[in-house]
Amino acid sequence: MSNKTDVVVIGAGPGGYVAAIRLAQLGQRVTVVEKEVLGGVCLNWGCIPSKALIHAGSLYEKIQHASELGIMVDGLRLDMTKLQSWKDGVVKKLTGGIGQLFKAHGIETVYGTAAFTGPKTLAVKDSSGQTQTLEAKHFIIATGSSPIEIPGFAFNGENIIESREGLSWTSVPESMAIIGGGVIGLEMGTLYAKLGSQVSIIELAPDILAGSGIDAEIVQTLRRSLKKRDIQVHVNTKAKKAEVKNGKVHVEAEAEKGPIIMQVDKLLVCVGRKPNSQGLGLERAGVQTDKRGFITVDQQLCTSVPHIFAIGDVTAPPLLAHKASKEGLVAAAVIAGQNEILDYQAMPAAIFSDPEIATVGLSEEQAKAQGYNVKVGKFPFAASGRALSMNASDGMVKMISDAKTDLLLGVHMIGPDVSELVAEAALAIEMGATTEDIALTVHTHPTLPETLMEAAEAVHGMAIHIFQKEKPLAAAK
Amino acid sequence: MAFEFKLPDIGEGIHEGEIVQWLVKPGDYVREDQAIVEIMTDKVTAEIPSPVSGVIQELRGKEGEVVKVGAVITVIDEKAAEGAVSAQPMAAATAASAAEVAAPAKTSVPKEAAVSAPSLPPTNGKAKSATAVMAPEHPAGKALAAPATRKMARQLGIELSMVQGSGPLGRITPEDLRRFQQAGPATTSRPTAVAQPTMARPAYQSGGEKRVPFTGLRRKIAEHLVKAKQTAPHFSYVEEVDMSRLMAVRDELLPIAEDQGVRLSYLPFIMKAVIEGLKKYPVLNSTLDENTQELVYKYDYHLGIAVATDQGLIVPVIKHADQKNLFTLAREISDIAGRARTGKLGLDDIKGGTFTVTSIGSIGGMFGIPIINYPEVAILGVNKIEKRPVVRNVGGQDQIVIRDMMYLSISCDHRIVDGAEAAHFVKDVISYLEAPSRLLMEEI
Repeated sequence: MSNKTDVVVIGAGPGGYVAAIRLAQLGQRVTVVEKEVLGGVCLNWGCIPSKALIHAGSLYEKIQHASELGIMVDGLRLDMTKLQSWKDGVVKKLTGGIGQLFKAHGIETVYGTAAFTGPKTLAVKDSSGQTQTLEAKHFIIATGSSPIEIPGFAFNGENIIESREGLSWTSVPESMAIIGGGVIGLEMGTLYAKLGSQVSIIELAPDILAGSGIDAEIVQTLRRSLKKRDIQVHVNTKAKKAEVKNGKVHVEAEAEKGPIIMQVDKLLVCVGRKPNSQGLGLERAGVQTDKRGFITVDQQLCTSVPHIFAIGDVTAPPLLAHKASKEGLVAAAVIAGQNEILDYQAMPAAIFSDPEIATVGLSEEQAKAQGYNVKVGKFPFAASGRALSMNASDGMVKMISDAKTDLLLGVHMIGPDVSELVAEAALAIEMGATTEDIALTVHTHPTLPETLMEAAEAVHGMAIHIFQKEKPLAAAK
Repeated sequence: MAFEFKLPDIGEGIHEGEIVQWLVKPGDYVREDQAIVEIMTDKVTAEIPSPVSGVIQELRGKEGEVVKVGAVITVIDEKAAEGAVSAQPMAAATAASAAEVAAPAKTSVPKEAAVSAPSLPPTNGKAKSATAVMAPEHPAGKALAAPATRKMARQLGIELSMVQGSGPLGRITPEDLRRFQQAGPATTSRPTAVAQPTMARPAYQSGGEKRVPFTGLRRKIAEHLVKAKQTAPHFSYVEEVDMSRLMAVRDELLPIAEDQGVRLSYLPFIMKAVIEGLKKYPVLNSTLDENTQELVYKYDYHLGIAVATDQGLIVPVIKHADQKNLFTLAREISDIAGRARTGKLGLDDIKGGTFTVTSIGSIGGMFGIPIINYPEVAILGVNKIEKRPVVRNVGGQDQIVIRDMMYLSISCDHRIVDGAEAAHFVKDVISYLEAPSRLLMEEI
């Protein structure tokens, strides 16, 4: 059987499903091929379930410390099974929503594994082994990424696992080790520490969040908070091997000081993700990838084949759901004949550690490296009425500007709800705002975004709620 | 001390240029490397930076005037301090002409506010190349604009970096884009037509008249055409071609071309046929050296292709077209035509042509009589293909059949080329177009 349509989207994650809906809005006939469930890693085994659990974990921790606020709680108990079913409900609601939107837009969904058989034909094999061929004028490859497995630490689905399984446990492990002090490792480690696990993180690099470009001061603040939660961080440490004995995982690692041996209930391996570009028959379609397997695309998300597009994790880092969605929108517009390109000025990112970290634009180091004469304004959450009233005063906002023009170059933050605050900063950068623009904008009191206004004032030495000795000219030119 | 700034040599073989626009006025403080004037030479516009810092004392030469390399164009007082910065709008003459251009809309805002305030080039700015079309200075180091404004620029086919923004830090507003689109090449910037070559339709106005300075590329084209017409006594010759078989060949190649990302028009086929013709009739690929009174036969086959742009006709050149296969030619045509429309041609792209092919038929018309791209000696006009009834001998009997027909029109410099040669040449080109398999024979 052969089906011809305008566009076939391979993968229904946050890149693919957004692209499909936008294509339908622009009058294209769309078929989406999905090998598992609508929503991809993001909705099913990533962003959404992890945030649901992290929210619950934070609440659980807050209740434990609620006595400081005069709230006395006795008999606090965690029912992991119930928590999981609540989380599953959240996921189902969202993925079901995509199904309904697809239906309303007349988007067809084909379940199965896709592989190109030529530049314009795609074979889709379903779970029963049946194959059908789809033909289309355009294709969007949105197949995402998978966790990298390292030799000696093969996933067994039970106690040597990746983040996906780590989000569906119905009991809290007493102890766990995490290989990889990156974003996922830190989020998972913090979550389970809050739920009561004894957590150790093994990181090969000299520091956590290595290579992420996140400001050193911010990483330092996070390190302190990990320590407060008794999360052991072993940096400069290489995980050597893992063995399962009597239901426990024996982990051997080599630190600078010498070997470390751990016995844990669970070993989580979060050392990075690789693009899902294998097995897609890309060579038969003529689609080129780089050495690491990422599909090469131009600013219109067009691959080396003019009618085949690729978006999201399968194209290039950073691996972010909202980046995939943005690329999906641009690819859809280009396919529909619009003169659209990817031209965002800055890509925001958030880490749901505790406190949260959020960044957009250049860090101080990056700005200096690019030759800017940098001016930085810092404002601590300890000076924010709102943060104090939330009992969450750790962290700060760091605003990076070009000394010559006052142009806002970046905002890097650690603190309560900064994943929300970063939206204002991203808008400011997209609009080409100066820090003075932010300082002159009235912010609601008492709220956390006031800290952005204050950090902007701090760039000019004019913050109200902290004392700054240096007062460069009252306002930037 | 007064520094006399002479028009520098801005490109190989260029010895004069037209002042398109002054970016400064007397009394302005300029810093070293700040662009002070926009000069147009042979279809390429360059912003000329000041070699010194100081206050502009005098501008020699009006906008639209042609100046020679080495002539003093401005005098800069190097001693004068920055305090002498004037915050006045543009010089009266420019402001007035800008207002005229912008009619009947309100008088344009003095958009050069950002220019009259001295601004350093961005520290990480691009290297200045005199042969490229230069973008205006962006005080923030890049063209600032809100996402919706950037989208609007794409829809209008405007390259954002070419627009001078009127907002703080040179921020570009939707109003700037509209003004840019209307002003065209008379400003520091040039519109591009990525999506479609839109001609800005003038607003309807009953009665009166509008005067627009005749400068820039339009004037350059005018001078060039007058010289061609006055120097070379033209004659023209028109013959028809049956394109049916070539169309079938192209249809066969289209999916392959598409798979390789090549936009395959008829032009590469015609260029191939032209090259075969030129090889046999080399006088059409020659030029007359009037200084030495010698006829120069060219063994390089550099084919110019006429491209309509918003600012006028430009003829970029496909170099060594004889050494390129069909798809390579097609690719280069797309590339160079695209760059012509977006104002991204370098001087090298438009120099050195030995013969020109111009596509006339895209709008309609039976055929057009082209003017030679002097100092070349001939130009071939490619007209529209349409179904026409023609008489063919079918099975021993004359019958009226429907075929895809096209006129080829050639103009030649009669000083050098005679009618017979032109006719033979055209006949030869036609023989390839009507039996395209013959082109295979010649394929390198």
